[in-house]
Amino acid sequence: MPSPSSPTPGAPATIRTHGPTAVVMALMTAALYAVFQYVPTESEMGLVQRIFYFHVASAITAYVAFLLVFVAGIGYLATQRDSWDRLGQAAAELGVAFSIVVLITGPIWAQPVWGRFWRWEPRLTIMLITFTMYVAYLMVRAYGDPGTRTSRFAAALGIMAFVCVPLVRFSVNLWAEEQQLHPVRIALDPRMLHARYVTYAAFAALFVYLLRLRLDQLHLRRRLEELETQVEDDVP
Amino acid sequence: MSLVGQTLAILRKDLLAEWRTRERLSPMIFLVLLMLLVFNFSFDMAGAPLHRTGPGVLWSAFVFASLLGLQRTFAAERDNGCLDALLVAPVSRTGLYLAKALANLLYLLVVEAVTLPLFTLFFSLPVGAYLAPLPLVLLLGSTCLATTGTLFASMAGHTRLREFLLPLLLLPVAMPALISCVAATGAVLEHSRGGAASWPPALAAHLEMLAVYAVVYSTVCLLLFEHVIEE
Repeated sequence: MPSPSSPTPGAPATIRTHGPTAVVMALMTAALYAVFQYVPTESEMGLVQRIFYFHVASAITAYVAFLLVFVAGIGYLATQRDSWDRLGQAAAELGVAFSIVVLITGPIWAQPVWGRFWRWEPRLTIMLITFTMYVAYLMVRAYGDPGTRTSRFAAALGIMAFVCVPLVRFSVNLWAEEQQLHPVRIALDPRMLHARYVTYAAFAALFVYLLRLRLDQLHLRRRLEELETQVEDDVP
Repeated sequence: MSLVGQTLAILRKDLLAEWRTRERLSPMIFLVLLMLLVFNFSFDMAGAPLHRTGPGVLWSAFVFASLLGLQRTFAAERDNGCLDALLVAPVSRTGLYLAKALANLLYLLVVEAVTLPLFTLFFSLPVGAYLAPLPLVLLLGSTCLATTGTLFASMAGHTRLREFLLPLLLLPVAMPALISCVAATGAVLEHSRGGAASWPPALAAHLEMLAVYAVVYSTVCLLLFEHVIEE
């Protein structure tokens, strides 16, 4: 995001977000309207079913984020470019954040429908295990020495973790096949489908927005570190 | 020197050092023994049928023992400052990884071979032909732990948390394999009640899955290792 006023080309002078903020806010408002006003109440599960729109959208967003961590990991190991490293970090943080939303909204929905907050139901278990892998990823970043070695470790773990996602799926599904309690089909009314698409769009926009923000932030931090080293070198 | 030659040379060095000091196997075996004791007091092992609690007990003990052993994968090299020497030596990274992973696998198998008789003794597991598929489960499960563990051990040693980080990295990634290991072991032990020596029907699916994991883990870890170990 090069800005004409910025002193160094390639580095953003400030993080400009007014336009994107407006878009995300508009989409989120539309999603809230769709979920709370537009869709009819589901006949069996009642009001609480409405949380599903956010739950499913967060889950999809989280897995997209984890896919980005995987791509960034390969990109980093292949090119050693810093931008891939930052993409991996930003995407992993967001993936973890959206998984937390999934893991919180799930039990809220489960309490009235399944009768308790947590069951070791396959999809919930898969999400939980996936979540722990990416928390481990963030720990490697947090506790590694600053430098390219930690970036390489994180990239490797990001690749490994994503390869494991389908394995987790197979194992958990076979382990608890009969416990599959997720509704297989909920969108009966076309309005439910519309609400779903609006929520997906809102979450996609939110994800892109937050990712951009975090990438700019990481970029600025890197610039700051470079400038600090420069100053230290200049002033004996 | 060929890849096999390199691998065997490093493996031989590691096994010889281990044979002379026994500084990894002895603590691992002792830990498993202690874990069996702890589990005996934590669970009511006499009440529940063994095929329900047994697999969990066995694999928890193995996982803790493997964590203890895996931490030391590069310890000798690091303590003596000769990891760099090993890396500049005309040895491929693949050879180094294979040797380290094979050594870890061997240690795990030894620990399991010692533990199983103790387990049958402590928890009155009837010995019989139905136990025959168990070594295969142990081999595949240990391969999964050793391949991933070797990769993560090379990472964890270079972080501020050192060995403390290893379980946090290994457990989530190895979780699918552990689930299958416990399920497969459960299927084998459950078969003891039937008394028949035939192959338990539920076992095949778990074993296939474990074999897939072992292949996937070793391939991915092998590919990633050279990027992780650089410098």
